[in-house]
Amino acid sequence: MSIDSDLNEFLELVGKFEAENRPVDLSTIALELKRHVNEAEKVLKTALTSGLVEHNDGVLRLTDKGRSVVQAHREHYLHEEYGHGHSLMGRVTRLLEGRVRDWRGHWRKRHGFDDRALENFYRSLGELKGRIEEIQTLADLRQGEKGVVTLVLGGHGLVRRVSEMGLTPGTEVSIVRSAPFHGPIEVKVRGVSLALGRGVASKIFVKGLEKDAANGA
Amino acid sequence: MQQTEHERHLTVALAGNANVGKSVIFNQLTGLDQMVGNWPGKTVERAEGTLHFKGYTFKVLDLPGIYSLSTYSIEEIVARDYIAIERPDIIINVVDASALERNLYFTLQLLELEAPIVVALNQVDFASKRGIEVDAQRLSLALGVPVVPTVAIGGIGIDELLSTVVDVLEGKVELKPLRVRYGKEVEERLDNIESIVREKLPELSAKYPARWIAIKLLERDEDIETKVRSNQNGKEVLEYANAIVEEVERLHGEPSSVVIASERYGIVNNIARDVTRIVSPPKTALEERLDAVTAHRILGYPVLIAVMMVTFATIFVAGDFLVGVLDSLFEDTLIPIIAGALSTVMPQAFVDLIAGGFLSGIGAGVTIALPYIVPFYIILAVLEDSGYLPRAAFLMDSVMHKIGLHGKAFIPLLLGYGCSVPACVGCRIMETDRERFLAGLVVVLVPCAARTVIILGLVGSYVGLPAALALYLFDLVLVFALGRLAFKALPGEPVGLIMEMPPYKMPSMRNIGKKTWARTKDFIYIAFPLIIGGSVVLEILRSTGLAWSIADLMAPFINGWLGLPTITGIPLIFGILRKELTLILLSELAGTTNFSQILSPLQMVVFTLVTMIYIPCIATIAAFVREFGWKRAVGVVLIDILLALLIGGVAYRILAAYI
Repeated sequence: MSIDSDLNEFLELVGKFEAENRPVDLSTIALELKRHVNEAEKVLKTALTSGLVEHNDGVLRLTDKGRSVVQAHREHYLHEEYGHGHSLMGRVTRLLEGRVRDWRGHWRKRHGFDDRALENFYRSLGELKGRIEEIQTLADLRQGEKGVVTLVLGGHGLVRRVSEMGLTPGTEVSIVRSAPFHGPIEVKVRGVSLALGRGVASKIFVKGLEKDAANGA
Repeated sequence: MQQTEHERHLTVALAGNANVGKSVIFNQLTGLDQMVGNWPGKTVERAEGTLHFKGYTFKVLDLPGIYSLSTYSIEEIVARDYIAIERPDIIINVVDASALERNLYFTLQLLELEAPIVVALNQVDFASKRGIEVDAQRLSLALGVPVVPTVAIGGIGIDELLSTVVDVLEGKVELKPLRVRYGKEVEERLDNIESIVREKLPELSAKYPARWIAIKLLERDEDIETKVRSNQNGKEVLEYANAIVEEVERLHGEPSSVVIASERYGIVNNIARDVTRIVSPPKTALEERLDAVTAHRILGYPVLIAVMMVTFATIFVAGDFLVGVLDSLFEDTLIPIIAGALSTVMPQAFVDLIAGGFLSGIGAGVTIALPYIVPFYIILAVLEDSGYLPRAAFLMDSVMHKIGLHGKAFIPLLLGYGCSVPACVGCRIMETDRERFLAGLVVVLVPCAARTVIILGLVGSYVGLPAALALYLFDLVLVFALGRLAFKALPGEPVGLIMEMPPYKMPSMRNIGKKTWARTKDFIYIAFPLIIGGSVVLEILRSTGLAWSIADLMAPFINGWLGLPTITGIPLIFGILRKELTLILLSELAGTTNFSQILSPLQMVVFTLVTMIYIPCIATIAAFVREFGWKRAVGVVLIDILLALLIGGVAYRILAAYI
């Protein structure tokens, strides 16, 4: 697609490898990006010249500027994908909003975030291990699928409640069933069945697990 | 009676998650002298009973079933304030052996609150059926408090539990409660907050343990923050604590409350793994197969409809039967006999007042409210104890969201079609105060059986069935519209559904009987004085002729605005007592049962509309007061009267223009 989205994915990848303490080279990136090495090199050059990444003992690292670009990308991605839900109403709402300029104000006004929630939101975005594209909400998983909780977006009360019910980061969750008409979903967590309203489930982000991998773990 | 020296009054509180068999243990411990009421100022059920054991007299208190001691629901605040401030002599923490991790999460918090606890490791039979064996001794070692395995339903382990409680109270068994230790980063900071709290807030730390306050501050618990703020040095402490919260959040990259919850779960997970043995691979149990049908996205609905129909049929068949029996007993036998006996000793006017007011009031309570309420309580207990309610709520969640409520509200709403009284009472299954009230507002508008009688008897017979059905439909629209309106107007966020789906269980008859008895007793205490008082007032209005003066006063509304004959004001007043009375009175006043002689079809529709909406009957008002307090009850009555007048008048004008 555009150089912008390639660059974003590239930066996310660098961040991911950095978090995993894995040295990263061009061919791995090209493979992950599903691009030709030449194209990956082009992206790398852009990133280097704009000061988004730096070489450090042969290992690529994100600069502070790069980090803030990643942060913004994650914010936009989440908003685009999940900010208003996937319903028709949500899509229309998103369309009517047009381009968002003041993001903090936007989350506050349109998504009911208070100061605390906003602080935690940005912090979680920064701390997220791996690429933002790898996470999805519990509501996106299908019956029988499993995931590991990575972050919960929402007000202080909801975040606290969800973790108290056992859905803490790193916990494995599986989907037992879902109710029709956009109803709640039933999940199994720590040996207990919980029903979560669709609204709640779509605020809980998980990293999906392969069915087999989950069984082996 | 022998008075031994250690005969003392002690308090035992039962605490634990919902659906762990807490109320079953409560019923095992206490006899029939239990009282179910509300916590002061809260619509949270408070069950209390007495127990005699080894010369001791215990007051046993059943705390609400909760998952945490935070501020998510009223129940949690009630429970933690009770434990911290009232300090019961001992707490029996009921723990579900088949879901140890989540249950111990709560146990850790009890330990943090420095409460003296004995653990009842319940449902060990159910756990072993699922292939889970819990080593009670190891668990006791890990927690530092006694752990007694129980099967509450079968009464197994209850005696041992009580002996252990007594042993602890007599100092024969010493509690060495586990000190919950968090990770190094958190622990160091907790110590710092704790010493500041101890130093700067002596009053508050006399009330709650200082370390607990520190933990709550780190979790950013709103309730504790408010309490701290109201202290002299509160601001300073809060600022200090918030700086530490910031630090912890920076270190962990997660909200502090999540950090604490994660660490608690880490500790609990270790304990649970250490004391649990999975003996056999879990196989699909019967209850899981039952779940596959009853919560199924398609099959679940016919099951739901069937369950509701059986519920209805039972309430109505049983209710109608009881109404018939009791009504004839009261109206035809008891009241005339008592009135006859009284007339020999006092003037007739008093006799009329007693017979027509006082006795009819009791009659209305016994013959209208109770016959529907008792079967309802029984069925509610069965639905609660079996675990079906959460399935129904799960299936109906998306529909109920349309009026800003979640799935559980479906149950009281449906009950409203039978009788508004159990519907009002049923609203307490909602979690927050806001949702309870929203549901209550809506359910009183649902046409109950008595209103259905009027719709069918007047409009259905004289205007036609389509018109009657149209009225029914209109009412449904009204319920929906009002629900939405109230949802938008009432302050507060709608609560998303986060609900445990407990495994199905066979309900115990004993438990159901006791629950029903305790709740019925509570209803009688609250509602009967109101119903009787209301009847006496109405009887005075009737016998003094004031009712007619009031009807005259109402004439501008009745005649001018609604276009009804002035005389219909009287049945509308007495309809407050019981709605089906409006029709009976109307025929008495008109001297005919042929309503077409006194009302035009248009007037019939308007009259029915007004009767349908204007006020729930006096028994409903009583139930509403019971559940939501006087202020809200008066508010709802006023809203309903205004709404009835508004809709009646507008309908009269619109329909008159077309007919």
